[in-house]
Amino acid sequence: MKNNILILPSIIFFLILSIFLYLLIIDRNPSEIPSNLLNKNTPIFEAKSLFKNEKFISANEFKDEIILVNFFATWCKPCRDEHVYIQRFADEKDLKIIGINYKDNNKKAIKWLEDLGNPYENVLIDKKGKIAIDWGVYGIPETFIINSNGIIMYRNVGPITNKIYKKINLIINKNE
Amino acid sequence: MTIFLGNLFLLLCLIFSISQFFTSQKKNRFRFIAINVNGLLICSFLSFSLLIYSYVISDFSVLNVFENSHTTKPLLYKITGVWGNHEGSLLLWILVLTIFNYFIFKFYNNDNSNFITKTLQVQGLITAGFLLFTILTSNPFQKTVSEQSNGMGFNPILQDPALAIHPPLLYIGYVGFSAAFSMSVATLFLNGDQKIPWYSYMKPFVLTAWTFLTAGIALGSIWAYYELGWGGWWFWDPVENASFMPWLIGTALLHSLIVVEKRKSLMAWVLLLAILAFLLSVIGTFLVRSGILTSVHTFALDPSRGVYILIFTALLGGYSLILFGKKSKNYFDNNYFALFSKEGSILINNVLMIVVCATVFLGTIYPLIIEAFINKKISVGEPYFNSTTIPIIIPAILVMGVGPVLAWNKDRKREIFKKILPSILLTIIMTTLIFLFYQSYNLIGMIGIILGFWIISNNIILLIKKNRNYSKGMLIAHLGIGLLILGITGSSNWQEEKITRLKVSKSTQINEYNIIFKEINEIKGPNYIAIEGNFMVYDKNKNYITNLKPENRYYPITNTFTTEASIHTNLSRDLYLVLGEGNLNDGWVVKVYHNPLVIWIWIGALIIFAGGIVSTSNNLKKIKI
Amino acid sequence: MNSLILRKITLITITFCITQFFLNTSYSVEPDEILNNPKYELRARNISKNIRCMVCQNQSIDESNAPLAKDLRILIREKIKEGNKDEEIYAFLTDRYGDFILLKPPLNSKTLFLWLLPIIFLILGAYTIFYHNKKSR
Repeated sequence: MKNNILILPSIIFFLILSIFLYLLIIDRNPSEIPSNLLNKNTPIFEAKSLFKNEKFISANEFKDEIILVNFFATWCKPCRDEHVYIQRFADEKDLKIIGINYKDNNKKAIKWLEDLGNPYENVLIDKKGKIAIDWGVYGIPETFIINSNGIIMYRNVGPITNKIYKKINLIINKNE
Repeated sequence: MTIFLGNLFLLLCLIFSISQFFTSQKKNRFRFIAINVNGLLICSFLSFSLLIYSYVISDFSVLNVFENSHTTKPLLYKITGVWGNHEGSLLLWILVLTIFNYFIFKFYNNDNSNFITKTLQVQGLITAGFLLFTILTSNPFQKTVSEQSNGMGFNPILQDPALAIHPPLLYIGYVGFSAAFSMSVATLFLNGDQKIPWYSYMKPFVLTAWTFLTAGIALGSIWAYYELGWGGWWFWDPVENASFMPWLIGTALLHSLIVVEKRKSLMAWVLLLAILAFLLSVIGTFLVRSGILTSVHTFALDPSRGVYILIFTALLGGYSLILFGKKSKNYFDNNYFALFSKEGSILINNVLMIVVCATVFLGTIYPLIIEAFINKKISVGEPYFNSTTIPIIIPAILVMGVGPVLAWNKDRKREIFKKILPSILLTIIMTTLIFLFYQSYNLIGMIGIILGFWIISNNIILLIKKNRNYSKGMLIAHLGIGLLILGITGSSNWQEEKITRLKVSKSTQINEYNIIFKEINEIKGPNYIAIEGNFMVYDKNKNYITNLKPENRYYPITNTFTTEASIHTNLSRDLYLVLGEGNLNDGWVVKVYHNPLVIWIWIGALIIFAGGIVSTSNNLKKIKI
Repeated sequence: MNSLILRKITLITITFCITQFFLNTSYSVEPDEILNNPKYELRARNISKNIRCMVCQNQSIDESNAPLAKDLRILIREKIKEGNKDEEIYAFLTDRYGDFILLKPPLNSKTLFLWLLPIIFLILGAYTIFYHNKKSR
């Protein structure tokens, strides 16, 4: 028994090191936090729309089809960078895209979309960031994929890159 | 030219270190080892000096200089910037390794030749490991691709004297522990040979390492307090923990060495602790530089570097721990430890230090373990560490007061009571006096004050005693801990804070002070512009105390903003003022803190360091260096 | 006279430039956030000290300058004023951000070992001490 105890430190040591090795090898981002809303229903909320007169009521909207929700702002540079991918989603796929304008100025947002193009079927106004908090948003831009049952399937933090664009495409195809 | 020479010296170092690993077995080895040791020292010194020179003359053809320096940096920070980045800091690691390597070699004589040779063999392996890592993944001597007229500047927050000297102090600590590690492995190979006093060789290195690690950690905290702008100095950040864990094991190691010398007991403990202290230093290096977690402090975020360090750690740790598993039996003793004795109290506190270290380690890596197994992220923050470590540290402090007073072997309980009665009385007197004066009661605060005075009282009693049979270094260092506890208690429990919005010429009050917002100015520094608030501080009797001038700085080169708090310090409290945002119309956000006894944290740390220096120099005199 | 005006203009310009950055930041708890009821404010501060700033390195929202930290500080105060208990506020935040946002890990199946092992360490330590105490000469 005494002899075996002495070998214990080395066993614990190797166990811990293997865990470290595993974490290094897999593809992970140490600063990204997975969404707590994955596989749950979308938050229930109401919001004013930037272009439409009627109020947006989430219960009526998140059903029957796959929806992409994108939090953005005109003052956010990465949002501008990823805009081209949002536009591609709108053009290439028959996808309903809802934009949520975070802590922004309405006039500036309208101009921004005029200049860059408007891929959004609807743009909601989140002046104080309360909707974002309900979605667990912590760093815009953020993009969510919701399936036809209103369940959040995927969330991306930060601008969409080519790699993420392909990933989202796969997810959309899987859920169609 | 610089690039070529730098790489040449690094390569030579590598050859010398590998040679030191291999030739250490040869017959005519004194000469060979001497060549390797001296060669290592000279080449690492040359390569380090070369890098410093490149920084001083702003040679931006060297990629490392380009990435981390700028012509407008003050000369002091150009030099200290050499080790403020990942690649340069490794060069410093290597330099310190070769310096300690040299000192290990100085012990060599005919009697201990096998032991020292084996030690140098392991040390050569460690040095070679660091050199390979540097040359293959983190080489500072790389060419900048295109010509650059100026560098990419440097984080202004890091341009600070405390932070500049913080890494060298830490590295002396870690490398000192590497020497102890090598000696531990060499000792295990001795198979219990009683003739070699391996612990006597280990002691100066452990003392040096522990002393400088203490200073390094203290300076990091001092920097955080003065620089980061919210008056905190310890955050249980993974990188802080990475330096604290070797310190805890180092403290246990230091005290266990005393028991080994006195009673030839706890030898297996010492061998294991010496291995663990360095292993934790290396694992700490891994956590900081591999990109496995993000923290305020992380340098290089590169998984391939991480894999390298991991393999290196696995080799060193695996080999040494398995060796320990097999051979430590030779160092077991059958000594009986009375609980109420000097060695008993050292044993108790050893165990408590290790429990704290294990808990801190658990808390630090737990988020990684959870992520590996169930792919969820959780946080383990300050509240966890405070609630798990403080309940263990409190009994350790109680024991720490009694320990030095107890005799070796057994002490009868009645004797013990007689010995500590004076200090109990003195503690009660001091505590009562303080609370009569300050009149502010708070349970945790009281416990802290009592603990601080408990240590100090015991020290005073020891001083007064006729029997001068104690170590002066121990007395000083323990006194430092007592003062440290007082400082920590005061600043954590009785801090007052006032947050308000002030227009120019208005005033605010905190504690017994009246602070008037006199004016706001713009000022220009060597590489920044700033808004500076000028506040006049008066006490309750309308006496002028000081001017506080907090700044909000903008550094154009790196496009960063920093806040510089303005602090007025005296022995009883710090007044700490931070300027927020604002404008002439609405006024400015002003945050004031009244932090009692903060300076005693730094004084305490300094005295602990002084105690360590005294012990180290006494030890070096004894072994005639 | 002219230099005075020039100084004032420079000051205003620099203030403007620096505050452009500060428009998007705050200096941890701000005066206008502080609640009038000191009991409520104390509750808010204590809760905030346990909530992690999601975009900072190891800071609580109580200390942080980040805009999200400010939003959450205000949200917590609103919820306290509305009469929510501490547990309800924590639940609101963890529903949206997960357990990651808590600086003090909760006690649940995931964190069982985290809270249990220190006690086990202590027991092992005590055993070691008494083991040395019991060894025969």
